[in-house]
Amino acid sequence: MSVLRPRTLSARYARTAYLFLLPAILFFAAFFYVPIGNVVSTSLMSGPSADRFTGLGNYAQALSDPAVRHSFLVTAGFALIVVAGSIVLGLGLAMALDQPLRGRVAFRVMLLVPYLTSVAIVGLLWRNILDPELGVLNRTLVALGLPEQQWLNTSPLLTIAAVTLWQNVGYTMVLFLAGLQGIPETFHEAAKIDGADAWHRFWRITLPLLAPTTLFVSVMAVISGLQAFGQAYIITNGGPGDATDLSVFHIFNVAFRARDFGYASAQSVLLLIVIVAFTLIQLRAGRRGEVQY
Amino acid sequence: MRRALLYTLLAVASLVMVLPLLYMLSLSLQTEAETLSAEAVVWPESPQWGNYAELFTRAPFGNFIVNSLVVAGGITLAHLLFDPLVGYVFAKFRFPLRNTLFVALLATLMVPFFVRMIPLYVLMAHLGWINTYQGLITPFLMDAFGIFLMRQFIQPIPDDLIHAARIDGASEFAIYRRIILPQTRPALAVLGLFTFVFQWNEFLWPLVATTTPEMRTIPVGLTLFNQEYFTLWHLTAAGSVILFVPTAVLFIVTQRYFVRGIALTGLR
Repeated sequence: MSVLRPRTLSARYARTAYLFLLPAILFFAAFFYVPIGNVVSTSLMSGPSADRFTGLGNYAQALSDPAVRHSFLVTAGFALIVVAGSIVLGLGLAMALDQPLRGRVAFRVMLLVPYLTSVAIVGLLWRNILDPELGVLNRTLVALGLPEQQWLNTSPLLTIAAVTLWQNVGYTMVLFLAGLQGIPETFHEAAKIDGADAWHRFWRITLPLLAPTTLFVSVMAVISGLQAFGQAYIITNGGPGDATDLSVFHIFNVAFRARDFGYASAQSVLLLIVIVAFTLIQLRAGRRGEVQY
Repeated sequence: MRRALLYTLLAVASLVMVLPLLYMLSLSLQTEAETLSAEAVVWPESPQWGNYAELFTRAPFGNFIVNSLVVAGGITLAHLLFDPLVGYVFAKFRFPLRNTLFVALLATLMVPFFVRMIPLYVLMAHLGWINTYQGLITPFLMDAFGIFLMRQFIQPIPDDLIHAARIDGASEFAIYRRIILPQTRPALAVLGLFTFVFQWNEFLWPLVATTTPEMRTIPVGLTLFNQEYFTLWHLTAAGSVILFVPTAVLFIVTQRYFVRGIALTGLR
């Protein structure tokens, strides 16, 4: 019997499975695994066409480069604000919406709308609104006799983080809303009978039972916060100075403006390690937290 | 009292979300003088619909729109074609290395796009695919997330349906086409919707993979247009409205699916 005609039923199913999987295997090999291998091997090279082997030279250089360190710190600060804001504001709005109110659907739609916009819209629109001279905000403030704002100069990182929250908080709100609706009403009723006030019920029932949602929201926010790019590219161009030099923006400039693919690749790998480490730590912490309930 | 407080909170939050977008619409209809006037114009006296036409004469905006439709549409079609098929295999087949392959697939969820950006650029430059549709589309033909979603959705479909069809002599592909695929329609709707909106809005890869204005997608074309004509805010706003309208319409029509989709993806 030929090799192509399998003898058993299970061998035939296996052949079908692999036939169906073939495009996916080729795709993920060519567009994920080979590129990941290439980014690692390029990170060991230097020179304008990344063809001189330097071992771990790029990594040593990156770890001692003040500009790289600075952009890591900027990115960490940005991600921290976005994570904290996503959880606090997203949960707050979800709890407000998780009440028998008229117009809930309309509120939910309005709160979710910015999430649908491209980072290009978010960036351009807010750069226009916040522009010190041409911006609608300052023109309105002056017309009302109020002091002008210079937020993109005085606290640029906080400002672009706030703009990011403007875009994303509707998404975390929907996640928290789904989480809240999964908590059985009987828990709250039982606690009420036992005399627990709203504050206690929030800390002892709502928050612990929401732990899986909170974990998911924080993992997603860390991952997306650490790889933010458009905000720096469109709103601030990394400035003023290097105050908003987010890591992916920094890597983009090293790769495509300075044309140093080797150095940029090493920085990508370092940022990837940070992201994976953070995700694993959060998941482990989350798992430990879950045991109690 | 408590109720009034809740309404106030929600109303203020909703205004913060929606007002900037309404201002974008107003700005897109103002004259250049109105965009610069000392007292900000809330709504233009005579809306300048001509701004939208002017946009097309200053930049190849028609190209941007076609490119965005081709790229986002092409990627969405590929996802609808491949994600359910792969999800079906992982849901219903037993074969050697199944768990290894599944873990290898899920591991790609941990790989942010910027890690692939440089090697993909080198690959596309090598193939001569910079400034081509295939260069913009191929890196996103399928993803682990969509496959995982489809697998979760297909798993509860009873195996008996598949066995019965096999006994009736249906081919393996016909079983997938005729029996599995029709049952996944709600999940396909969510998958298609999310894929299209995300790809329509995608910024980094089209920025890297195009160098000529004619091949840019709307988000990239608009941003670079704004760098060139950065005082002409009424035109940038008009372009932003064009970029936003399709997602807004899709969202209004499918609002329920959308919210359910987010909840579905969030809670495994």
